[in-house]
Amino acid sequence: MQDKNKLTGTPISRIDGIAKVTGKATYSTDFPVKNLAYAVLFKSTIAAGTIRTIDTTAAEKAPGVLAVITHTNAPKLNVNGGIRGGALLQSPEIEFYGQHIGLVVAETFEQARHATHLINVTYDKKEPKADFEKLAKDATLPKDKEKADAKRGDVKAALRDAEFKVEEVYETPIEHHHPLEPHATIAEWNGDRVTLYNSSQIVNGAQSAAANTLNIKPEQVRIITPYIGGGFGSKGGQWANLVLTAVAAKQVNRPVKLALTRQQMVNSVGLRQRNHQKVSLAATKDGKLTALAHEITTHGAIKEEFVEPCGDCSKVMYAVPNSLITYRAVPMNVILPTYTRGPGKSTGSFALESAMDELAYALKMDPIELRIKNEPERDPSNGKPWSSRKAVDCLQVGAKAFGWEKRKAEPRQNQQGNYLVGYGVASGTYPAHQRPTSAIVRLKRTANDVMATVELAAADLGTGTYTILTQTAADALGLPLRNVKVVIGDSDLPPAAGSVGSVGASSYANAVNDACQKITDELLTRSGKQFFARPTASQLMMSEKLTDFQTRIDAKPLESAEDYSAHSFNANFAEVAVNRFTGMVRVNRFLAVTGAGTILNPKTARSQIIGGNIWGIGMALTEESVLDPRWGNFVTRSFADYHVPANLDIGNMEAIFIREDDQKANTLGVKGIGEVGIVGVAAAVANAIFNATGKRVRELPITPDKLL
Amino acid sequence: MRPFTYSRANDPASATKELAGNPNARFLAGGTNLIDLMKEDVERPSAIVDISGLRLTEIKPIAAGSAKGGLSIGGLGKNTDAANHPLIRQNYPLLTQAILAGASGQIRNMATNGGNLLQRTRCPYFYEVAMPCNKREPGSGCGALEGVNRLHAIFGASEKCVAVYPSDMAIALAALDAVVKVKNAGGQERSIPFADFHRLPGDTPERDTNLAHGELITAIDLPPNKFAGKSYYLKVRDRASYAFALISVAAGLEMDRSDGSGTKIVQARIAMGGVAHKPWRALKAEQFLAGKEATVENFKRAADAEMVDAKPLEHNKFKVELGSRSIVLALQMAMNGGKA
Ligand SMILES: Cc1cc2nc3c(=O)[nH]c(=O)nc-3n(C[C@H](O)[C@H](O)[C@H](O)COP(=O)(O)OP(=O)(O)OC[C@H]3O[C@@H](n4cnc5c(N)ncnc54)[C@H](O)[C@@H]3O)c2cc1C
Ligand code: SF4
Repeated sequence: MQDKNKLTGTPISRIDGIAKVTGKATYSTDFPVKNLAYAVLFKSTIAAGTIRTIDTTAAEKAPGVLAVITHTNAPKLNVNGGIRGGALLQSPEIEFYGQHIGLVVAETFEQARHATHLINVTYDKKEPKADFEKLAKDATLPKDKEKADAKRGDVKAALRDAEFKVEEVYETPIEHHHPLEPHATIAEWNGDRVTLYNSSQIVNGAQSAAANTLNIKPEQVRIITPYIGGGFGSKGGQWANLVLTAVAAKQVNRPVKLALTRQQMVNSVGLRQRNHQKVSLAATKDGKLTALAHEITTHGAIKEEFVEPCGDCSKVMYAVPNSLITYRAVPMNVILPTYTRGPGKSTGSFALESAMDELAYALKMDPIELRIKNEPERDPSNGKPWSSRKAVDCLQVGAKAFGWEKRKAEPRQNQQGNYLVGYGVASGTYPAHQRPTSAIVRLKRTANDVMATVELAAADLGTGTYTILTQTAADALGLPLRNVKVVIGDSDLPPAAGSVGSVGASSYANAVNDACQKITDELLTRSGKQFFARPTASQLMMSEKLTDFQTRIDAKPLESAEDYSAHSFNANFAEVAVNRFTGMVRVNRFLAVTGAGTILNPKTARSQIIGGNIWGIGMALTEESVLDPRWGNFVTRSFADYHVPANLDIGNMEAIFIREDDQKANTLGVKGIGEVGIVGVAAAVANAIFNATGKRVRELPITPDKLL
Repeated sequence: MRPFTYSRANDPASATKELAGNPNARFLAGGTNLIDLMKEDVERPSAIVDISGLRLTEIKPIAAGSAKGGLSIGGLGKNTDAANHPLIRQNYPLLTQAILAGASGQIRNMATNGGNLLQRTRCPYFYEVAMPCNKREPGSGCGALEGVNRLHAIFGASEKCVAVYPSDMAIALAALDAVVKVKNAGGQERSIPFADFHRLPGDTPERDTNLAHGELITAIDLPPNKFAGKSYYLKVRDRASYAFALISVAAGLEMDRSDGSGTKIVQARIAMGGVAHKPWRALKAEQFLAGKEATVENFKRAADAEMVDAKPLEHNKFKVELGSRSIVLALQMAMNGGKA
């Protein structure tokens, strides 16, 4: 698809970049709404039990306070309306530490916050279920059908008869999304209609969840979210804070602003659950896999289940005749786990790809060779042909670009001063889907200038949606970039897929392209003329002397896409240096090679990939949310103790895209890059640490104490 | 955060007087610690006296005209300015390294030298006001003692408190035998030797230091030393920057020859961070090294001499081994003039 006359495929800087760096971009709480009141949430300080009494008298009398809302006076909400994680002030029951138990609305933020300190709560406490290590033995089969045991062949026999095998357990901790912009909302009622300025990865999803929970119609809710300061899954589903802002605004009959603090984020907007993963691999002595078992134990919240699909990579990565994937989960007193970048695949690939490295070492085989040996011709989980699969290309191109041949096969062979240096590799994959999305294109001509406006309820997480859609529309209409305006982030626009699960780019770009093709077709029909070469919509507007023209499309995925298994693939290469005294790890170099179909904009795509890589490095080395099982509280409560990688942690980052035309996946061949960038990263780093030190760490994050 | 009054002090006398009249008043310097703690509802002062405008920012020789008699750094000077001052870079590189190993550029630009010494522990139970914490609320118990205590003390702790003191700058100051100059509302001045400035928790973990309420830190005096060319600040942490130390070691070696060719140690200075409620002078290690050859073997034995007394908790056993290795590495680096 890449064509040198096209704007798609070129590294255009973000269209919204200047607005963002000059502060003109309006994030949720930046909207200049008049007469605002401020809400501050307060929380439970137990993890399990019920509220016995809640005394708000002093708070109500505090200066500036307009209302105090708790379960005793909150309006009745629909707790099954689609808001995740409960905490809707509908009952005195406490299901996790830090659960919202009320909010104060006041004239100023400071007054509201002060009043929250004047509230007295007594509880009937229960022993919290917060010790995963102890609870894990009680884990049971999840209700989710997707998590049923998936068996192929006879894994047990294959393991018994194996010439080589690896059977190990890999542990990953609870993590938090922690987007830079905390979850924040302004709610403004106008009669019985409410406008919610609220960061939402799924605009229409936020609209319906808010409406259903508030017991009103979706038309009565408008979500406005033109800019989002990151979400990573935590703004995919919506949480109590959204609806409680609307409740507060109704109660005080004024617009209300509510922003979570970083400390509140820890218990308010989901998390990546703790996973305990056993991987068993069996292989012949020449490296052919004969069995792969991936057994996952995890937890949900106390009443609701969420199980991230850690076995997904194991389903599709390798050709193996005998396979078993199982999930078990146990309820825990924590906020509901949720989709978190590379859901299941980032954590699952840590287990699978570490085990592959262990197997390669046992076989004395290069880990790249082992992977190539087990490349499947079709999707092993369903027998479908691949729409396209570039896993091997990624490994080979990456090996060359990275200088893999310089790797020593044996650990501890590369010492440089106080450092032990090692190389690691790991593969990754993420499914590619397109979802139904509608769009309107409007064309307006003044003299020889045609302006296009493209409208859809898409979301830009900060990743470049505005930019790629501007490029796509400009190409499809024959216009320069500056003549295209993309309007998104508003539920009054045509409904669109969410910016989640790597479906955003393919769903949006295909819908915009389809809409632009449709408008061109309509203009052609209208002209009644035959053309030797297809004219552009812009040319037709001029030749037909039209001033205004518009169309709308409800774009759907290709029906034939169902016949194929469509995935992005990558290969990750890490070079680490481990201080042999202190165990501190530095990732000197990281390379991700990705085959993800058409790359609409190599610049924003690179940012996406290295952003995912950096989180993956954080997952490998620094990030962990630590629970105190006695109280169920997180002791990592701010960025001072939840360690995301800092600049100095990140060495040279490189991203290469493999050329891939995959029109079987969708018309534009766009497969999405948001998620795949984090998949396989932690394993590549852990494998490099093994190569450097000879220490195999199977428990993330790999902090210095684990390498002494 | 709770309501409080705010006033700006024009001179040390009025600042100290305001505090003397109100046991619940606090000085505000850079605010990078105090304001955070107020937002978290940990500190609840009724009055804030802003001292950031006081002109106690100078870095100057103690004896006029020559740095040979040591340097005095202003209590309200910024951490960044102290770290980068040419006289400090030249004569006290250990201090420069320690300051630059802490926090972030932005925070160091705000943070003052006096405020840095008085920053409070980062123990998460201290911060989460619903948790028991004897330091925050005497008598409520210690959340960390049997809780998550990976970051906590291995030396000098008590049943009442196992917190560690978080400053990097102060670890270097301990090794440098600095002196803290303070002034009270009566205009009296005191000089507190660094080793006596911070306290071990004992039965009163609510008291971090021996500073009396209302005493203002006016300056920190750095006596001259003979190990500027052989010193090193090592900070081991969970990420490369912007994290508090798991263990840190400030090391300086005064050798038998001053031209760098010496092999025998006259005197070693070793202070550790991340291990105790105060900067921990590794006196046993220092004692062992006095008069010894500067060999890796001796460094190891010195480290062992210090670490045998460590009393780790459930989650911080690694600090014993890490502490030992860190002493050895810091001494080696110091011996090599800071190079690996
Ligand atoms: C995210 C983060 C990370 C950090 N990381 C590190 C790190 O890695 N290493 C490190 O060492 N530090 C670190 N810090 C801490 C930082 O160094 C301190 O917050 C800072 O030095 C405090 O100085 P200040 O002037 O801002 O003090 P303030 O917050 O203004 O005051 C702190 C206390 O000292 C008192 N006080 C201030 N000045 C005087 C004076 N002259 N006389 C008497 N009392 C006074 C105040 O009343 C208050 O009680 C970090 C801080 C943050 C927020
Ligand atoms: S260690 Fe000290 S600061 Fe931490 S909880 Fe115990 S008493 Fe409080």
